Amino acid sequence: MNILGISAHYHDSAAALIVDGVPVCAVQEERLSRRKSDASFPLSAIEWCLDHAGIQPDALDAVVFYERPMLKFDRILTCALRAFPQSWRAFPKAMKNSLGEKVWVRGIISSHLGVPGRKVLFTEHHQSHAAAAFLTAPTRHAAILTSDGVGEWATLTVGHGERRPNGATVITLLREIRFPHSLGMLYSTFTAYLGFKVNEDEYKVMGLAGYGRPTMVDKVRQVIRRTPDGAFALDLDYFEFHTTARRSYSSRFVELFGPARNPYEPIDLESAEGQRFADCAASVQRVLEDTLVDIARALQQETGLRDLCLGGGVALNGVANARVLAESGFDRVFVPPAPGDAGCALGAALYADRIHFGNTDRDVPDHPFWGPSVDGAELKRIAGEDGQFVDELDERTLIDRTADDLAAGRIVAWMEGALEFGPRALGHRSILAAPNSAGMRDRLNREIKYREQFRPFAPVVLIEAADRYFEFPAGGTRLARFMSGVFPVRPAWRERLQAVTHIDGTARVQALERDMAPRLYTLLEAYEKRSGMPVLLNTSLNLAGEPIVNRAVEGYSTFLRSGIDVLVADQTRVMKRGSLLMKRKEDVA
Amino acid sequence: MPVHRWIWRDADRCVQKLLRFGETEIDGGRDILRAAEVTSDSLLRRLFMVHATDEHRHGVLFRRRAATLLRALPRQAMPAFQADWLAPGGHGLDDLRVEEESDDTLLAFLHVSEKAAASRFTVYRDALQHDPATRAIFDDILHDEIFHMNYTLTQLVRISPEHHRWHLWRARLSRLWKGYLRLATAVAGVIGAVLLTVQYFIILPPFAFLAKRAQRRERPGWSPISPERNGSLKDEY
Repeated sequence: MNILGISAHYHDSAAALIVDGVPVCAVQEERLSRRKSDASFPLSAIEWCLDHAGIQPDALDAVVFYERPMLKFDRILTCALRAFPQSWRAFPKAMKNSLGEKVWVRGIISSHLGVPGRKVLFTEHHQSHAAAAFLTAPTRHAAILTSDGVGEWATLTVGHGERRPNGATVITLLREIRFPHSLGMLYSTFTAYLGFKVNEDEYKVMGLAGYGRPTMVDKVRQVIRRTPDGAFALDLDYFEFHTTARRSYSSRFVELFGPARNPYEPIDLESAEGQRFADCAASVQRVLEDTLVDIARALQQETGLRDLCLGGGVALNGVANARVLAESGFDRVFVPPAPGDAGCALGAALYADRIHFGNTDRDVPDHPFWGPSVDGAELKRIAGEDGQFVDELDERTLIDRTADDLAAGRIVAWMEGALEFGPRALGHRSILAAPNSAGMRDRLNREIKYREQFRPFAPVVLIEAADRYFEFPAGGTRLARFMSGVFPVRPAWRERLQAVTHIDGTARVQALERDMAPRLYTLLEAYEKRSGMPVLLNTSLNLAGEPIVNRAVEGYSTFLRSGIDVLVADQTRVMKRGSLLMKRKEDVA
Repeated sequence: MPVHRWIWRDADRCVQKLLRFGETEIDGGRDILRAAEVTSDSLLRRLFMVHATDEHRHGVLFRRRAATLLRALPRQAMPAFQADWLAPGGHGLDDLRVEEESDDTLLAFLHVSEKAAASRFTVYRDALQHDPATRAIFDDILHDEIFHMNYTLTQLVRISPEHHRWHLWRARLSRLWKGYLRLATAVAGVIGAVLLTVQYFIILPPFAFLAKRAQRRERPGWSPISPERNGSLKDEY
């Protein structure tokens, strides 16, 4: 049975294909269109998935959309009615936005793919999150918690999933918290208030929080209060996201927290104003964590289960995930590599396969590498045309040379195999560097990532050595499989891991097993022989404002435009040779 | 010219314009970078890469200048009215699908766009006599635009010696057509917004009353999910 899952229209659209119950490919549209967080209908992603699997659209048994568009429209219309007459400005925009394309999903899918309308199915948004979290996790029976900004109406759901011995699968969502009361919207509102982009820059708030103290927790608790049944409710007087598209927070919010940050001004953490923003970030982060931990703890007590599957955009908050693991009573916490809306494409397809069609459960390979493969020959050709130093090396030599480069302080762009599905670069489209000095972190920020000084870089470590350098609670290395948790760096190693240790002594670590990325694993071993530590800095191969690269030519253009010293794609290695860009400009001018 | 002088003398409008230019340049740069990644012509790839880097730099220059001017402005509750109902066009490569263009049509498009941008930026530069810092940015960018105009034309002639004039005319006509489409879309958008606003105030009040009454009955906190909701996937509701 061939089932295509699609997520689209809000942010980070994607497609995923499962054949006979097993995923064969999945990719975000942005990785093919090269437009970050591309929300358009993922036609390129769909075409690539079908090509990759070698099937025609008419061979699809179902196409599953990740949410119910009319239910979502119901929420948008109802919110406009509830906010009458303040919503008069937002109403025409919301209607034009929804009625233009977003509610006609069945027709759009039918016309693009030529499949009959009856083959188009719809899951609920949080069902898709739940399925993406539970059905990809190596667990038989687990509690499920999903949380994001908003789906149709739900913003947070709890439930449980079970793989039964007879092969049947059950996912039961028990209850939900409904819009506008939303942890995701709370965090996004602070993201906007702190001058960052909503739905894109939430992780910057988490990074900034490390520099602050949670001195405004009481104020944050004024805007989000706990309800007697253990849920929460936002005080809507402080928000405007439910009435207008112009601004997320109200004037009262500004009265409470002070003037919002000008997005075009850098944050100066030495100034009182900069510290206020950091404290604000730390405070909302603390409240988010406390709320999630409380809800997860209550869920553990209610279900008595040992495993928890977390889904939804809020599950990208590694600090909160680590606290949930440490404090909620669950032994293991599973977060998929793509817990956000992109992952819903895979979740929706799996949900339809296991629940709607009742197919027998199959294990889902426990890795994030579902995208297009890189072609080293393409890199060899284009870099050769530019007169770069290009080598095609055997495996052993390539690993040795790369380890030498890293030990010598060079920055290496590392491309191998299939592209990651999800927002993290987990070793197939990564920038690697020595993790020891703060100078390396500053160089990466200055010459490659062009980003704020307060944002940390992540380490990748061999799983066998992970405990030596990082303080994992029980079950922590599982959370670190896909870089989903933030854990303390052991004090004895912080000096030698400066480039990957955040200001608060933590790191969003990836604990690597050989099976998941064997080449990177071997590279870490080779690096250990040279440096004494099987730890590398691992950040995504992209520049600011661009999606993670997919093809070798995109890696090459990133390499040319930044301070990366070496580019590796499969067996091809390129060393940078001067500034070809400027030379060419002078020639032609 | 007097209109431009008036616009650029208004600090708030000046900031908004610079920010918008910044966005347009950076977006355009991304599209040109994409062109560099999809072309099979190695010389063009390198030139597009240079061009994309320039556009990105222009975007950063505009943004930095806007940020500096913004710092000098008093905090305002409401930004000044901007005629933003018309989608930005011209220098930005909006509605261009780089992957679907051939090298020659893309070069012709770029040449025409760069030429138009250069003439517009010249007007802006001349209107900025009172603001030497912003004027210097336009001067700097105009220098790059000349290079962009030259290389796009040179390369177009190289790869399409027989048909380069035809490509240029097609690009001009396409630009005109896109301009018309932008205007038509904007007018349709305004008409749509007016009609929807009228409906909002005429049709919605009784439904708004009912919705508000229903909302008052809702209790915040957990809502149970009925087992039927985990059932059929055929409904869009």
